[in-house]
Amino acid sequence: MQRARREILLQLALVGGGLLVVLPFAWVVSAGFRTQISLLMGDFWFTPVLSAYNEVLFSKTSDFLLNVRNSAIIGLASTAICLAAATLGAWSLHRMRWPRWWVHLLLLWALVLQMIPPVALSGGWFVMARAVGLDNTLAGLVLAHATLNLPMALWMMGVFVRDVPQELVEAARLDGASTPTLLWRVVLPLVAPGLAAAGVLCFVFSWNEFAAALNLSMRQTATVPVAIAKFAQEFEIRYVQMAAAASLSAVPALLLLLVAQRWIVKGLTLGAVK
Amino acid sequence: MRRDPDNWWRWATLSPALLLMLGLGLLPVLNLVVLGFFDVRWADGRSIWTFVGTRHYAALPADPLFRASIVNTVLFALGAVAGQMLLGFALALLCHKATRGRVFWRALFVLPVLIPGIVIGAMWKLLLNPDFGAIAQLFEVAGLEPLDWLGEASTALFAVIMVDIWHWTPFCFLLFLAGLESLPRDVYEAAKVDGASAWQELLRITLPLMWPTIVVTFVFRLVLAFKVFDEIYLLTGGGPGTATEVVSFTIYQRFFTEDRAGYGAAMSVAVIFLIFLMLAAAAAARRRVQS
Amino acid sequence: MAQHAPTFPRRTLLGAAAAAGTFPRFADAQARMAPITIVINQSPWLDSFARIVQLYERESGNRIELDVNPFAGSLEKQRNSVRAARGTTDILIMNSGWFAEMYFGGFVQPITDIDPAYRLDQGVYTLGDTVFFDAATKTMNARGKLMSMPIAPLIPLTYYRADLYREAGIEGPPRTFEQLEANARRLNRPPRMIGMVQRGARGPNSVSFDFLPYIYGHGGGFFRDPANGDFTVTLNAAEGRTALDFYIRLAREAGHPRTAAMDQADVIQAFATGRAAQMITVIAAWSQMDDRERSAVVDRVEWAAPPSVAGKPTAPGLGHWLAGISRNVPDDRQRAALAFLKWFGTASTQIAFARGGGIPVHAAAYRDGLADERRFRWMKPMAEALPHSVNPYNFPEASEVIAVLELGLNRAIAGEISSVAALNGMSSEIADIMAKHGHRTGKLEPLR
Repeated sequence: MQRARREILLQLALVGGGLLVVLPFAWVVSAGFRTQISLLMGDFWFTPVLSAYNEVLFSKTSDFLLNVRNSAIIGLASTAICLAAATLGAWSLHRMRWPRWWVHLLLLWALVLQMIPPVALSGGWFVMARAVGLDNTLAGLVLAHATLNLPMALWMMGVFVRDVPQELVEAARLDGASTPTLLWRVVLPLVAPGLAAAGVLCFVFSWNEFAAALNLSMRQTATVPVAIAKFAQEFEIRYVQMAAAASLSAVPALLLLLVAQRWIVKGLTLGAVK
Repeated sequence: MRRDPDNWWRWATLSPALLLMLGLGLLPVLNLVVLGFFDVRWADGRSIWTFVGTRHYAALPADPLFRASIVNTVLFALGAVAGQMLLGFALALLCHKATRGRVFWRALFVLPVLIPGIVIGAMWKLLLNPDFGAIAQLFEVAGLEPLDWLGEASTALFAVIMVDIWHWTPFCFLLFLAGLESLPRDVYEAAKVDGASAWQELLRITLPLMWPTIVVTFVFRLVLAFKVFDEIYLLTGGGPGTATEVVSFTIYQRFFTEDRAGYGAAMSVAVIFLIFLMLAAAAAARRRVQS
Repeated sequence: MAQHAPTFPRRTLLGAAAAAGTFPRFADAQARMAPITIVINQSPWLDSFARIVQLYERESGNRIELDVNPFAGSLEKQRNSVRAARGTTDILIMNSGWFAEMYFGGFVQPITDIDPAYRLDQGVYTLGDTVFFDAATKTMNARGKLMSMPIAPLIPLTYYRADLYREAGIEGPPRTFEQLEANARRLNRPPRMIGMVQRGARGPNSVSFDFLPYIYGHGGGFFRDPANGDFTVTLNAAEGRTALDFYIRLAREAGHPRTAAMDQADVIQAFATGRAAQMITVIAAWSQMDDRERSAVVDRVEWAAPPSVAGKPTAPGLGHWLAGISRNVPDDRQRAALAFLKWFGTASTQIAFARGGGIPVHAAAYRDGLADERRFRWMKPMAEALPHSVNPYNFPEASEVIAVLELGLNRAIAGEISSVAALNGMSSEIADIMAKHGHRTGKLEPLR
């Protein structure tokens, strides 16, 4: 009985939290199907229209599908690079022989990088990118996003990498495993949950990143946040179009999340086979 | 015998991160630091740099916007981060213990962080509107007088903190959940055999084991809270008066809008120092608690 | 390569008929020019501009790429482009807030340097002479070089609910501040109806922009004679005080209770949802008022030139957009850019532009039969107000001055400080800023 009651309480708490989270989100999604005036008047009931989505997707000056494509490529590529660099780097710093001061210095440097306000960083990046011809290219933004998210990913993977039991590492070494084999077969499955969490966050941060995307892109390489920001205009905010664009924008991120979930589960079961 | 390949490997695995952080990070940071000692003007299509020493740094305490923004940002960062971490941890625990629908809940609780900052600002501005926002309507249905959350100086910062908690709790939730799921099971099983209650389990086992994750989450949430811009830009624009003026706003105003690059750079560097001070204070406090 | 002005007959109607017909070809075989890029911001008038660009592309065979940016990003992009060794955009669409920075920084190529023979059409509004600049004396008047073509002459007009006026038996548009206040009081029935909704919020150029027609319409001003370089601060003269007291009184006694928190979007929202009887807002919001999806007051709004003190002219502030040609792009692209701008400034193009929903910069478009149509009933008040438009910020440090104004006015409206204290404080700070940047400036005696 005790357990059943605790289970019910648990589910109730989850539902409560879920409602708090979902209701505003559902409101945003529903706003995308309204007329602007209906939203501004605060009507509860409304007849759904598709004009907001129409404008977001098919207006003369909108390239939304192109923006989604750009954001997806940049997000996936920058996350892949970021995770690879972060995991390898974290393994190197925490589990290979380095002097303490070097480890602290690099981690501190990563933190400093994270603290720079975007307005101060983006201008400099534009100059650098233009000098090597990477402005208005997807590659330039991929590098920028990978760098922006690296400090957080490096610190996070540091936590998970330090938890890998030394006995497993020793055992693998005794079996004659080289470093790549060790990383691929032993470490990676064990840090999979952290990798998934960091990966989701890196992707989401890249997907929603505005400052660098604005500076380093032009029409052909613009990303989704730049497109959405266009609805916050000089004299008004086009709420319903912004809501429609944001709803559309949340879909890929959500899909990725669901896929990443499977990977966490798979990683856990792999890790359990020791 | 193992030294050589080991040495090669430790550099090889570090080099991607090193390349990115130094290659793309060093120049801009150096530029910023140097810029803080100069005044930059443009004429005839070219920039003119004039050395001013520490004049920008000296001018910071006299800047009314900067003074207000530091106070607001510290309050905001501490309030928002505390809220997010508590809530995120609670949700992660709930989700971890749930036996059914885990995947569903996990996906659900992450939703708010998927929305870009400007949309959060615009949407919550509408929701909190005292004339016809949904929150005001709920108040009216409950028979209460709707408050002007964003328009009153006394409640504006609080409202902004609440919105930020809604937006960023998923960040903490994700990290804590990942941390919880990689905790070793055997410790828990031993504790259960010893008859530990759920509360003791939390305090004696979970929290200490989760400490590294908590630290990383705290540090990065704090740093990100100091950089918050998009949400507040549309929510309040820094008002009413200077009630929600945060440091990134002031930097944006001085560095970018007023085109005072040198002064803005000095301000950015000063803020970075301040964040380090806060982190050092937190670390010192923890050391004292431990001993 | 010699520059030839394109000569070709033009259509006056945009639309399917034009698309179906044959296109007049350029009389000049050399008229095929380099493709250019225009950096512009997303706005209510962008669609009409995009249509005009398409028309140009069809008629001339030249390519134009529109790089559309969010408003809070346009300046960043333009600065990046002009400060680089090679620019990324050829035409800069500059806002009144930053065109002075571009002129003073030497980033804009004077039009007369590309084509010394060119003169603006007589009918084009020069918008406070902000299209001219003399780099030697650093002033903007007709003696300087032609730097840019006006693109969007955005000034505020009085929007008022003609239906409410009729019901209350109030006569015609409010011409004086007295009439504005009297009407506001008559129609003010809180909380359902607000007599006059104004901005009070602090922003990049928010409450201070709304304040412009008040202070200049009372015969006052921020500076004594900026067109000739005299930046003595006159904000805290008697007229400034009357204007600010009027603004605050209007807000407190016939305005929105949350005026100190109202920004542009809030003001337009209050009016479009039918909760306000009058507002003085930039003309760019006109298209929203008759749009069923965005307005609850369709066909009930009328426009008028902003009011002023009896005997003084209307004084709307300029929030306009100018098109300048980047200096750091190759010559052939500069010439192609100029060809487009010249075409844009002609009477027939402007009439087509207006038909497509744009706000024209040429007087001919305002005299056209178009102005008599119900849909374009804002054009006559615009034509009346445009020649009197005021630009107080003909120097690059404008944003520092605006920041001071925003904070001071906001605090006065919120009641944190008195209007006298606000005016004195702001004047003192602004004089310091102008002195710091080497302008000829001074202060008046503080108000008591």
